[in-house]
Amino acid sequence: MTDHYQSIADCNFSFFFTGLILLFYLVFYGFLAALFTFTMWVMLQTLSSDIPKYRDRISSPGLMISPKPDTALEFYFNKSDAQSYAEYVSTLRKFLESYDDSKQSQNINCTPGRIFDQNDVAVKKACRFNLSELGQCSGKEDKTFGYSKGTPCVLVKMNRIIGLKPEGEPRIQCTSKEEGMVEINYFPPDGLIDLMYFPYYGKSLHAHYLQPLVAVQLAINSNSTKEEIGIECKILGSPNLKNEDDRDKFLGRIAFKVEMTE
Amino acid sequence: MVKKSDVYSVELHGTKDIEKTEIEDEEKYKDLKGNKKKKKTEDLKKELELDDHKLSTSELEEKYSTSITNGLFSARAAEILARDGPNSLTPPKATSEIVKFLKQLVGGFSILLWIGATFSWISFGIQLAQGTESAFDNLYLGIVLALVVILTGIFAYYQEAKSTNIMASFSKMIPQQALVIRDAQKKELPAEQLVVGDIVEIKGGDRIPADIRLISAQGCKVDNSSLTGESEPQARSCDFTHDNPLETKNIAFYSTTCVEGTATGIVINTGDRTIIGRIASLALGVGNEKTPIAIEIEHFVYLVAGVAISVGVLFFIISISLRYKILDSIIFLIGIIVANVPEGLLATVTVSLSLTAKRMAKKNCLVKNLEAVETLGSTSIICSDKTGTLTQNRMTVAHLWFDNQIYSADTSEDQTTQPFDQSSPSWTALSKIVTLCNRAEFRPGQENVPIMKRVVVGDASETALLKFAEVILGDVMNIRAQNKKVAEIPFNSTNKFQLSIHETDDPNDKRFLLVMKGAPERILERCSTIMINGKEEPLDSEKAEAFQTAYMELGGMGERVLGFCHLYLPENEFPDTYTFDTDSMNFPTSNLCFVGLLSMIDPPRSTVPDAVSKCRSAGIKVIMVTGDHPITAKAIAKSVGIISATSETVEDIAKRLNIPVEQVNRREATAAVVNGMELKDMSLQQLDEILCNHSEIVFARTSPQQKLIIVEGCQRQGAVVAVTGDGVNDSPALKKADIGIAMGIAGSDAAKNAADMVLLDDNFASIVTGVEEGRLIFDNLKKTIAYTLTKNIAELCPFLIYIIASIPMPIGTITILFIDLGTDIIPSVALAYEKAESDIMNRRPRNKRRDRLVNQQLAVYSYLQIGVMQAVGAFVTYFTVYAEQGFFPSTLLGVRVKWENSNINDFEDSYGQQWTKYQRTFLQWNGYTAFFVSITIQQVADLIIRKTRRNSIFQQGLFRNKVIWVGIFSQIGIALVLTYGLGYVTALNFTPLRFQYWFVAVPFAILIWVYDEVRKLLIRRYPGSWWDKNMYY
Repeated sequence: MTDHYQSIADCNFSFFFTGLILLFYLVFYGFLAALFTFTMWVMLQTLSSDIPKYRDRISSPGLMISPKPDTALEFYFNKSDAQSYAEYVSTLRKFLESYDDSKQSQNINCTPGRIFDQNDVAVKKACRFNLSELGQCSGKEDKTFGYSKGTPCVLVKMNRIIGLKPEGEPRIQCTSKEEGMVEINYFPPDGLIDLMYFPYYGKSLHAHYLQPLVAVQLAINSNSTKEEIGIECKILGSPNLKNEDDRDKFLGRIAFKVEMTE
Repeated sequence: MVKKSDVYSVELHGTKDIEKTEIEDEEKYKDLKGNKKKKKTEDLKKELELDDHKLSTSELEEKYSTSITNGLFSARAAEILARDGPNSLTPPKATSEIVKFLKQLVGGFSILLWIGATFSWISFGIQLAQGTESAFDNLYLGIVLALVVILTGIFAYYQEAKSTNIMASFSKMIPQQALVIRDAQKKELPAEQLVVGDIVEIKGGDRIPADIRLISAQGCKVDNSSLTGESEPQARSCDFTHDNPLETKNIAFYSTTCVEGTATGIVINTGDRTIIGRIASLALGVGNEKTPIAIEIEHFVYLVAGVAISVGVLFFIISISLRYKILDSIIFLIGIIVANVPEGLLATVTVSLSLTAKRMAKKNCLVKNLEAVETLGSTSIICSDKTGTLTQNRMTVAHLWFDNQIYSADTSEDQTTQPFDQSSPSWTALSKIVTLCNRAEFRPGQENVPIMKRVVVGDASETALLKFAEVILGDVMNIRAQNKKVAEIPFNSTNKFQLSIHETDDPNDKRFLLVMKGAPERILERCSTIMINGKEEPLDSEKAEAFQTAYMELGGMGERVLGFCHLYLPENEFPDTYTFDTDSMNFPTSNLCFVGLLSMIDPPRSTVPDAVSKCRSAGIKVIMVTGDHPITAKAIAKSVGIISATSETVEDIAKRLNIPVEQVNRREATAAVVNGMELKDMSLQQLDEILCNHSEIVFARTSPQQKLIIVEGCQRQGAVVAVTGDGVNDSPALKKADIGIAMGIAGSDAAKNAADMVLLDDNFASIVTGVEEGRLIFDNLKKTIAYTLTKNIAELCPFLIYIIASIPMPIGTITILFIDLGTDIIPSVALAYEKAESDIMNRRPRNKRRDRLVNQQLAVYSYLQIGVMQAVGAFVTYFTVYAEQGFFPSTLLGVRVKWENSNINDFEDSYGQQWTKYQRTFLQWNGYTAFFVSITIQQVADLIIRKTRRNSIFQQGLFRNKVIWVGIFSQIGIALVLTYGLGYVTALNFTPLRFQYWFVAVPFAILIWVYDEVRKLLIRRYPGSWWDKNMYY
C-alpha cells in the first residue's frame, strides 16, 4: 500500500515538475516575445513614415510595362479575336483609370521640362498627366488600344523612387531585334518623359502622384504575323538613369515579346 | 602489420574458443558472410587434425622429402616457397584506402548532406526544364553540399591516416631471422623465407619462426601465452604426448617464444597455414569494442539527425498542406537539413581530440587511438603494475641500522645528499664496507651524469649500494683504488655472503681490512662482537635481540636486508706480504665485528603517492596487480597510498585483535592483499565480492592470466578499466581493458600493439595526467557541442518562419554553410583549450550510462533557450534592414510568392517606391548578410558563456584561454572578409553591410551572457534544486 501511495506522490511530483517546466518556458518565451516586440517598436520609432531611411538599394529605377502578361513578358493575341486580347485591354483600362481627368482634379499643371521641387512645401502637389498625351494609346479613340488593328499599345513606366531627379532629357526608346517587322511609335512623341513629374515624395506625402507614362505603339508589319518579335525598351538621354546593368535586366530597360496572329 | 596486435590479444584455449569466435563472427556477418565463415571454421577444425606429431622422424623426412641432417636443397626450397608463398601472416585484408575514404563520405551526417545535395540537383533539373531563372542557385547549392561532404571526408580520412601511421610505427619490428639447415649448411635466413620441410634450430629467447615439429630438444621451454593465454612456460620435447596437436609436447607454434633451452625441428606449416595464422584470420572479424566517446558521438549524431529529419519532414508536410509546390517544399527541406546539421562539428571533435592527444604526448602519454583520449577520462578503475610503473624499477637503499638505531635514507629519484646522521664512527666503518665489499662499477665516461642516472655494471643490490656510497662519500672508485683489494670471494648461494680483503688507505696502519656482506643471519653467525658508536662490544643476547628486532622490522617493510661486518686482521699474523688464498680460506671468517644492516627496496616513484591520492579524490580505484611477493607489494602499496595509512586488511585486524583470521568480519577490512594462489581457487563470485567490498586491493604473485580475470571482474562491476602492462603476456589484459596502457621503456612490442596508449616514461603519475586530460576533453567537447548546436536554431527558425509567414528568405543555405564551416570552426576548436573548472579531479568518474556527452539538458538549453534568443536577435536585425530600406515588417508578411516572382519588377514597398526583382534580391542578400552577422555576433557571446558550465566567467577568467580570443577575432575577421571582401561574388550571396547593423544584435548578445551568468549563479547557489537539474548540462 505504501508503495502505491508513493507512486501517486511521485506522479504528482513529476506533474508538478512538468508544470514547472511549462511555466518556465511560458515566462521565458513570453519575455522574449515582449523583448522582440519592444525592440521592433523602438526600431520603428526611429523610422520616418514619409521617406525610408536608406534608398541606396534602389539608386536607379527599373522599367516596367503594362499590361503585364501573367506568365512571362510575352504577348500572344489574335487581332481578329477580341477574346484573345481582352485581358490586355482590361488591364490597360484599369491601369489608366487613375489617369482619368476626373481623378486628377486636384492635380496641378506644372511647368514642363523642369524638375518640380517642393521641398519647402508641406503638402506636396501632384502634376497632371493628360491622357491625351498618350494619343492613340490613350484608349479614348480606340477602345482596344490598337490590338484589334494590329497596332497594339504597351505602356512603359519607370519605377517610382523617392527623391529621384533624372538629369538631361530622359526618353524611352524601343528597338526590335528583327529589322522591318515592326514600326514603333511613341506617345508622347519621341518617348519623352517630362522632368516636371520628379521628384517623387513618397506615398504618404505625395498621395495623388501619378508617374509619367510612355505609350509604345507597335505597328506590326502585316507579313510579320505569326512570328515572335522581340522588343527591348531602354531609358536614354539621362546620365543618372542606368540602363545597362549586367545582373539587373530591368534596370532602365525591359524586354518583351509580341506575337500577333490574324 | 597494425592488426597483428589482434594476433596476440586473442585468448584461446584450444578449439573451444575458436568455435566461440565463429559464433561471434557469424552474428556479425549473419546474412553476408555467415556461410563462408562457417565453412572456413570447419576447414580449420579439419586441418587441425594434423598428424605430424604422431609420425616418426623418418616418416616425417619422407612426408616432407627432406633430410634431418642436410635439410632441403635450396632449389627445392625455392620451389616450395613459390608454391606456398612467404612464411608471414597475410596482413589483415586492410580496408583499401578507397573504401576507407568512401566510408568517411557516408558516415555521420554525410548521408543527410548527400540527400540535401541530391534534392538540390533534382530541383535544379526540374527548374531548368521549367526555365526558372534561379535554377542555378540549386545547382551551386548541391555542388557546395557535395564539396562540404567531400572536404570533411578528406579531412577525417587524413586524420585517421595520421593516427594509423603512428600505430604503424609501433608495429615496425625488426625482421626475424631463423637458423636453417639447407644444403647441409647452417644458414641465417629471414624467417619469411622458411618453407615446409626446412630444418630449423631454435634457442632460448627466439621467437618460433613457423609451426615446428620438434625432432630434438634440450631443456626446451616455450611460452605459449600468445596462443593460449597460459603464461607458464611449457616444456617441449620430441615425444608425442597428446592426440591434440595443440597439447602435444613435440610441436612448437609460430609466434610463440622459446624461453630457454634449444631445439631442432621440421617446419610443418608456414604463414597463414600455421595455427596462429588461422586464428588470426578468424579473429579479424571480432571488432574492437567501441570507445565510450565513439558511442557518445554516435548518440549525438542520431540525436541531431533525428531532429533534422523530423523537423524537415514535419515542415515538408506543413508546406505541402500550405499548398506550396512540391518542388518548393523539397527546397525548404534541403534548407532545414542544412540548418540542422552541424557540418563542421565532427571535424572539430577530431581536431580537439588530436590536440589533446598532442598535449598528452607532451606529458609522456602517447595515444594511439584518438578516441582513447577520452576513455582515460572516464576510467573508474586502474589496474596498475608495480615494478617500473609505481616504482622506480631500481633497488635503492632505504634504511640503515647501526648503533642500535634505524635510519631512513632518501629514496627519491634525484638524491644528491643523504640527510641521516653520519657523525657516528660506526657509520664510517659501515660506509667503508659498503664501498669496498662491492663489485659493481660505473661505466666510465659518466662524470657529468647525475649519480642516480649513471649506468652501472653489476647486479641490482650492488648497484644500489654503489650509488648510495657515491652519493654520500663521493668518488667511490678512488676510495677503492686507495684501499687496494688483495683478495675476494664473490657472492654465491651456498655461502650467502661476499667477502673481500683490502689494504687500508691509512699509511700508518699496515693491517689488512676484511669486509663482508651477506644475508643478515649468516653474517651475524660469523660475528662475536658488534660495533656501537665506533667501539667493538661483545655480541650478547640482548644485542642479538636488538638485531633481530631491527631485521624483522626492515624485512616487514618488504625490503631486502643485507648485513655488514668487518675485521682488521692483526698485523703480526697477516703482514703486508701475506698471500691470501680464497680457496683454502687462509684467513678468519668468524668472530668478526658486526657493523650494521642496510635494507633496499625498489622505491616508489616520488610522484606516485600524490598521483594515487589524486586518483582517489577523483573516485578512481587503484588496484595493484603484481607478480611480486605480497609483503613487498603491500609495503609499496602502503607507501604510495594504494593502501591508506588507516586501513587494515583482514590479516591486520586478526593480528591486532589477536583472533584467527576466520573470525574477522571481512566487511571491516577496507584493504585486501590477495595472493595469486588464493585467487586461483576463487570462484568468480568470490572475486566479485572482493572487488566490491574492498576499496583498496593489492593482488600479489599473480600471473598475467589472472590479470585478465581481474580485469574482467572489474568490468563486471560496470567499471571502465585501465590496465597497465609491459609483457607479451599482458596483451590479453591490455586488449580486454577499456584502455590498455603499455610501458614505453619496459614494454614489449606486443604489449604496445595491444595497448591504446603508451606511457613514454613508464610513470604512473602520467596516467593521472592523462585522466585529467581525458576528463577535460569530455567537458570541453560538451562545451564545443553546446556552442555548435546553439546556432542551429538561429539557422533553422528563418526557414520555419519563411514557410509559415511567407516572408522573404531571411538567410540562405549557402550562408548557413559559411557559419557552420567558416566563422564557427576556430572558436569551437578553441574551446578545447579551455582550462578545467576547478572540480575536475574531485568528482567521480562519469557513469557510462547516465552521463552522456549530449544530454537532454544540453540539447534543451542550447536549442530552446540560447538558440531561440539568438534567433530573436537575428530577426530583429533582419527586420531592421528591411524596414530601413522601405519594407515595414507588416508589408513583409505573406509576400513570398510575389517577392520571388521574377516577372514582377515594380514591387511596391511601404513608401510607394517600386523595386525590380534584382533590387529585391540584392536586399534579400543584404538581409542574409545581416542575419549572418547577427548570428556571428551572438555566437561570440555564446562562445564566452560556453567557457564554463557552472562557474562564473569571471571566476574562470575571461582572458586565461588566449585561444578563445583567437577564435573570437577569427570569427569576426572571417565575417568581415565575407561581408566586405566577397560581397560582390554572386554565388556566395553576401553583400556589404552597413556598419551599424553589426551592433543591432549586440544587446541580445549581452542578454545571452547575462542570462547564462544568472543560470550559473542559481546552479551554484541552489545545488540539487529543480533549476540545477534542468539547467546544468
